[in-house]
Amino acid sequence: MYENPKRENKRTKLIAMKNQDLLYHYFSNSLTAEQEEVFKKLLENDAEFKAQFLFEQNLKEVIKSNEIDILKAKLKGFEKDLAATKTTRIENFNTKKTKSKTFVFNYKTFAVAASIAILMGWFGYNSFFKTNYSSIYNDNFSVYPNTVYTITRGDTKNTLEREAFVAFESKEYKTTIEKLNAIPADANKAYFNFYKAQAYLNLEDTEKAEQLFTQVVKDSTGFVAESIWYLALIAIKEENKNQAIQHLENLIENYSYNKDAATALLEKLN
Amino acid sequence: MHRVQENITVQDLKQGSDLLFKSIYEENRSKFLNFAKKYNLSQDDNIDVYQDAYIIFYNNVMQGKVTEFTSSISTYLFSIGKYLIFDKMKKNNKTINPDFDLSIVREKEALVDPALELEQQELTTEQILLKKYFVTLGKKCQELLTLFYYRGFTIKDIIEAGDYTSENVVKSAKSRCMKTLKERINAQN
Repeated sequence: MYENPKRENKRTKLIAMKNQDLLYHYFSNSLTAEQEEVFKKLLENDAEFKAQFLFEQNLKEVIKSNEIDILKAKLKGFEKDLAATKTTRIENFNTKKTKSKTFVFNYKTFAVAASIAILMGWFGYNSFFKTNYSSIYNDNFSVYPNTVYTITRGDTKNTLEREAFVAFESKEYKTTIEKLNAIPADANKAYFNFYKAQAYLNLEDTEKAEQLFTQVVKDSTGFVAESIWYLALIAIKEENKNQAIQHLENLIENYSYNKDAATALLEKLN
Repeated sequence: MHRVQENITVQDLKQGSDLLFKSIYEENRSKFLNFAKKYNLSQDDNIDVYQDAYIIFYNNVMQGKVTEFTSSISTYLFSIGKYLIFDKMKKNNKTINPDFDLSIVREKEALVDPALELEQQELTTEQILLKKYFVTLGKKCQELLTLFYYRGFTIKDIIEAGDYTSENVVKSAKSRCMKTLKERINAQN
């Protein structure tokens, strides 16, 4: 009997779709009793269907195993963090213990020092004992390197982006900003704002840097954790302790970037 | 620490939040390790057991074996953990004390939920090969297939979760991902 090839093709496609649907319902645990019957028959009689079923069944096991690997790595990370926190606590405890011993031992010396401090008055006390934000900032700040644009000697294309990153690497931050700003909007890349913020930060324009880092976090298209770290540093620079703590806690809880440094910094602020 | 687990539902956990995953782990860790001390395993062994128990619990939730919490999360973790401890002790032929008969205590039926799946099957050679190529797929493909096969998302759930606009888009993306996977395996073998 003559069979129209187009019709035959359509029929094959329809069967394939129907079979796909059956597999979809099987793996979603939503086969009806009627579908289950058809499903069983196909498994017995249709080698292609059976092969696809086995492939998906294997894939399911593989994905589970892959997820277990990811979960195990996460748990290992949690344990590492807990061990680090514990070590820091023990170190702090030991430091405190040493300090208190010194206090008893050098009581007379301390009394003299205290008298001097009182004589120096509030101003003197304030500069000696209050959190030295500026020094914390300087100890922790370093400019984020160019990790996005490779500048090669033989590169003859003198694009604005290339010029911007050459300027960035030469620490010419004003030029960096000018070049990045000159790039047309439709050629903008997700990381431009992050590097612009870096440039502003190096030019001591913390307000603009903060705005841009905040934008990067909001856009969430890359450099999010890094931006949160710099937002924490800006808050420290501005002596806004609560804000700094908030950023650091967010960084520690949700990201792995600079986690150790952030934990140490948080300890210092607390 | 802020207590997080009392009002957590299966659905909350199925959202896959890393923060929640970490909070639950940390909140139950000391309690579990304290409880496990009495079985005389080393601290490292106890941590291993706790992690295994936590992963088993999490997998069961993700794969729809637990559809509703009938007890607190701690109870689940302790129950699975106990099972694993006894299993480990049986394998090590270790006893708690002379009048304690291990054989009577740990049957699967004694678990908080008998439907829990406790054993992780070893991968077959074929599956190992499949895994090798699965991890080479693009992030989007890995995520899509994981949502469907591991987290039990329906196509509608996947659309609601984000990047896809219609059922057909999800279905064809899923087919394409599987086709790529098959092609990569066939090309290399």
